[in-house]
This record gives sequence, structure tokens and C-alpha cells, in this order.
Amino acid sequence: MPFLHHGSYRVRYELDGPADAPAYVLVNGLTQYAELWAAYRDALVARRFRVATFDLLGQGASDKPGLFINQEDQVAALHSVISELGDGPIFLSGISFGGLIALRYAIAYGQRLSGLVPMSCFAELSPQLLLLGNALRTGLILGGTGYLQDLLLPMNLSDAWLKPLLNNLDAVKRQGWLVNDVYALQNLMESFLGFEPITPHLSKITVPTMILNGEFDFLTPRALHETLRTQIPNSSLVIIPEAYHAFTLEKPALTADLLAGFAEAVMAGNWRGEKKVWVAPDGAGGTLTAFPAGYDHLRAIPTPGRPA
Amino acid sequence: MSEFLGPLGADGGVPSRQQTRVAAFLVSAHGALARQLAFALPGQLKSGWQTELNAQLYRESEIVSLLLRATSWVPDPALAYLIARWEITWLPQSIEGIPDRILSWTVDLSTIAHAVHASIRPAALLPVEANAQDPFAVALRRIEFESGRMLQAQILFLKGRDLLPFREFVSSALEARHAQVRGLWTDMLEGIGVRIREG
Repeated sequence: MPFLHHGSYRVRYELDGPADAPAYVLVNGLTQYAELWAAYRDALVARRFRVATFDLLGQGASDKPGLFINQEDQVAALHSVISELGDGPIFLSGISFGGLIALRYAIAYGQRLSGLVPMSCFAELSPQLLLLGNALRTGLILGGTGYLQDLLLPMNLSDAWLKPLLNNLDAVKRQGWLVNDVYALQNLMESFLGFEPITPHLSKITVPTMILNGEFDFLTPRALHETLRTQIPNSSLVIIPEAYHAFTLEKPALTADLLAGFAEAVMAGNWRGEKKVWVAPDGAGGTLTAFPAGYDHLRAIPTPGRPA
Repeated sequence: MSEFLGPLGADGGVPSRQQTRVAAFLVSAHGALARQLAFALPGQLKSGWQTELNAQLYRESEIVSLLLRATSWVPDPALAYLIARWEITWLPQSIEGIPDRILSWTVDLSTIAHAVHASIRPAALLPVEANAQDPFAVALRRIEFESGRMLQAQILFLKGRDLLPFREFVSSALEARHAQVRGLWTDMLEGIGVRIREG
């Protein structure tokens, strides 16, 4: 298990795939750990990418600072991982909290990236997200990691995914419960105390950016992704049909296919952001469909009006 | 070496030798916290946060009492040495950079409590197959759950405004206590055939 050093802390990381291939760096969500990207490693390595995964400070097998973890430290840890990857093309993707760290990295070190894929992501805390975050933190404090998982699972995954697992949810939760500690998760959540929106800095992100948002994402709904789409110049928004916040867990084949296709198109010079809105196919291998012209992509019912 | 306690008995219970060693460690750690809290607690509370100290004193005592009754104890000659080593570790230390002796001692107590409550996860030692109704298993789960809640007092104090001028010293003292406590816990577990994962 290799480790990098950030100050006195160790960051656990893993590299897979050919060393001379373009690289994908995948950044975990807040309660996640690197092993959850296993299907992505396999799929992206099969498409001839090198894949870097790691545990953020406070997660999994990386060190867990006792009291404070700044988001800047997470960006620095990510920078250390990316520094291991040589000079080839690098595509960066992260989900939720990891997407925010990826955005921060792209703002600070965008010149090192060939492409960016924020997923289920946000640049500011809307009142709903702020209050949900506070409630989740209280849930963690009062009920521990298991209770936080109990809150997140139904919020972030579909009935179709949950139904066959209903009698076996403890097994689903167990690995996350084992590798994550209450105090470390709390520190990660408390890295939002004093959070300042990064929206004013999004225009500094000039690399091709594909924003992925689940159709039914309740935690970070469409409006939060719309901020990214409108502020990042060379971006497009892709809506994942019938998906919730944690679609990377639920639809790994489709998502890995979208990641690979995006990077291949960028490297071939065929990708155009143009702030367009697309709908992803139902499964891997399909093609993107333009969001119907004349309808408002921020609404759940077909409403004419806002141009995409 | 396994990541979990066991092999379990036919009834899904943790072997008595492992129960004894784990419980002895936890009694030593939580007992030391109870003793130190008893000294730290003023006869008359002066501020709101001290009410939490009162609650912690009794919760730590409850953990000790619970383990004494829930553990299947067996003689363990190694405990004489181990307990002496553990108890020495819990002794108060002054914190570099905090000249006020009372504050320094209070911070040290909080760092030990933080380390014990945060980094010692006894329930995570239980394999999936452990008998969920076994008193020792229930005790470990209860201790881990209560530790997560008790930890909040240490987090509030150590992250609090009063200690802002000493933040660097507090953080480094806390990391040192975490390393100490985790080291003792890891060594103790290796002595009974359990190796916990890194991180």
C-alpha cells in the first residue's frame, strides 16, 4: 500500500494501468474510500488509461488529522498524487466533496489538467445544502457513522438499487463503517465551517469540463450544477437519467464510459463544451442526446422557457 | 493474524483470553479518564461546558462497570506488565507552549480523552459472525457508540476559542497522544492475534 507525504501526514494512493498512458485521477466523496472506484479502475485501464485513486486526509487508510482538516490541505494532497503521474495528459474527476476538491484544484493548477469532470458537485452552499449538511453532521455526532450512512443511503441511491439490498444493508454499510472514523468524518464536514463560495473563481477554469448530474439528485440538485455550467467557460452539463447523488456507485459502467469518452474526445480535439446541456444514455456505449430545445432543464416538468 | 477477534466459539462468542485482554485495556483507559475527570470536576460548576465533565465522569465509570460484568475473565499473567505500561501512559503530562499549569493539564486530559474516544474502536474488532446478543459484543458496541458522543466535549474544547492562541501546540500534543494510545492498542491486539488495518 503506497503512501505519499503531505507535511507530517501520509496519503494512501494507488496507481493502475500503463505508466505512459493518459491518466484519470478520481477523488472520493466525503464518506467514501478508494476501493469504491474498483469498477472504474478496471473499465478505464481497459480503455488504456492510467488510473490514480487515493484516500483524502481523514479517509480510509490515509492519516486522519485529529482536529482540523482544511480543504486547501486536500488540494495539496491531490497535487502530490498528480505530481506522481509524470507529464502526460491528466483528467481529473471527483464526486460531491471530491468534486469540490477537484474544482479547487482546477482553479489553482488548471494548467496541469487536460480535462475536468465534476460529478454531483457544487461551488456554493445553497440554504438547502447548508441545512442538510448541518443535519447530517448532527446525525453523525449523535448516531455515529452508521446513522450517517442510514441517512445518506436512501437520500442518494435509487429504489431500484436499494430494493434487492434491503435485507442486507448492514453488509453494504460495513466496509464504510470500518474504514471511516467519526472524528475524521466530522473534521471533513467541519472543513465547511467558514466556507466561502468558489463561484467567483470558476471562470478561471479553462480546461474542457464535463459536469455530471443525476436526474434525481436530491442533495445537490440541478441548480447547483447550473452554477458550474454557466460560470465555467468551456463546459457542458450531462444529466444522468434516473440517477441520484451517488450515481457513481449505482451506474459505474455508464459513468466510466462517459469519463473515457470525454477524455478520448478531448485528446482527439473533438470535444466542444459550449455550455450545452445533454442527456446521457441509459447504459454504457450509447450516445449523448441534446436536451430538448426550448425546454427548461432546471425543471422536473416540461416547461418551455429557459434556453439550455 | 486477523483483522478481527476470534476464532469465535460455537456460540459466536469472543474467546475469553481475548475478552480479558481487550477489556483490561479499556478498563485501564476509561478508568484513568474517570479518575482524572473526578479530580478535574469542581465541587461547584463555574461554566456551562463543565456540566459535560460531570456527565463524562459517570459515563466513563459506567463503561468500567459494564466491562467488569460483561467480560468472561480468565487469568492472564501478562496483564501485570501491560497494565503498568498502560497506566504510566495515562499519567498527566504538561503541554509544551501552554505555561498555565491548570490549562496545560486540562488540555492534556482532553487529548487523552480524545485519543481514547476517537481512535479506539472496539466494535470494529467484532467479526460479522459474532453473536449479536453476547454481553461482551454488546458492551464493545455500546462503548464505541458512547465514545463517539463523549468525544464531542473534547472536540468542542480543543477546537474552542480559548485555545486558539495555542492551536499549534494543542494539535501537536493531540497527535502525540493519538500515536501513543493507538500504539498501545495495536500492541495489545497483536498480543492476542489481531492486526488492525493501517489508517
